[in-house]
Amino acid sequence: MRGLLAAVLLLACHGALAVEAGGAAPALALPRLDDPAASLALASFRGKVVYVDFWASWCVPCRLSMPALEGFYRERRDQGFVVVGVNKDVSAEDARRFLGKVAVSFPLVADPGDAAARGFDVKAMPSGYLVDRKGIVRKVHRGFTGETAGELRGEIDALMKEPS
Amino acid sequence: MKRWLAALAAAMLCGCTAVAPYQRGYLARDDMAFDPSPGMSRALEKVYSAKEAASGGASVGGGGCGCN
Repeated sequence: MRGLLAAVLLLACHGALAVEAGGAAPALALPRLDDPAASLALASFRGKVVYVDFWASWCVPCRLSMPALEGFYRERRDQGFVVVGVNKDVSAEDARRFLGKVAVSFPLVADPGDAAARGFDVKAMPSGYLVDRKGIVRKVHRGFTGETAGELRGEIDALMKEPS
Repeated sequence: MKRWLAALAAAMLCGCTAVAPYQRGYLARDDMAFDPSPGMSRALEKVYSAKEAASGGASVGGGGCGCN
């Protein structure tokens, strides 16, 4: 009986571990998609506004989110905004094929052991975590529509005005 | 007996796993769909109906005797 209770409590706690607005972004270092030997640490962007986006070639809304994020990145990268795309494809070749159609210039990383997806407790694809200059997650977007793009634009601009 | 049942239930629970949203790369493949090629299925169904001079029942592939 005690064991059963422990199992139920453990399952109940699982939801509480999710990264939500107000929590610190997990400190992760992930291999780059174009060069797996090199790694990229999220902590290296401290002082910048970061949007951590989990995407995959098989994720249909990602065909909408990736060009939108590329636009935001190009417009604001000189002012201290960066997008980090975490790819969740099974094969890097699938990701490359997708990027051949939807080219992006922001940093892309792979997550081969699901450490990042588990760390952020990704509940939908795509999932985006808007992190402020102090490393605190301020907004979580699950899924992506045209409406999300409009909201995100305002949220990024508001965070850019905050002091580091 | 209860212990055996509990052990059996625990063992069966091990077989259950949740596929996380970010792990659906294989499930999203075309060949994982119930009908990966709807156009081809429709064409085969049409040919089958024409050959048998009757439509419907295309999902039954014979009785295993190898005679049809």
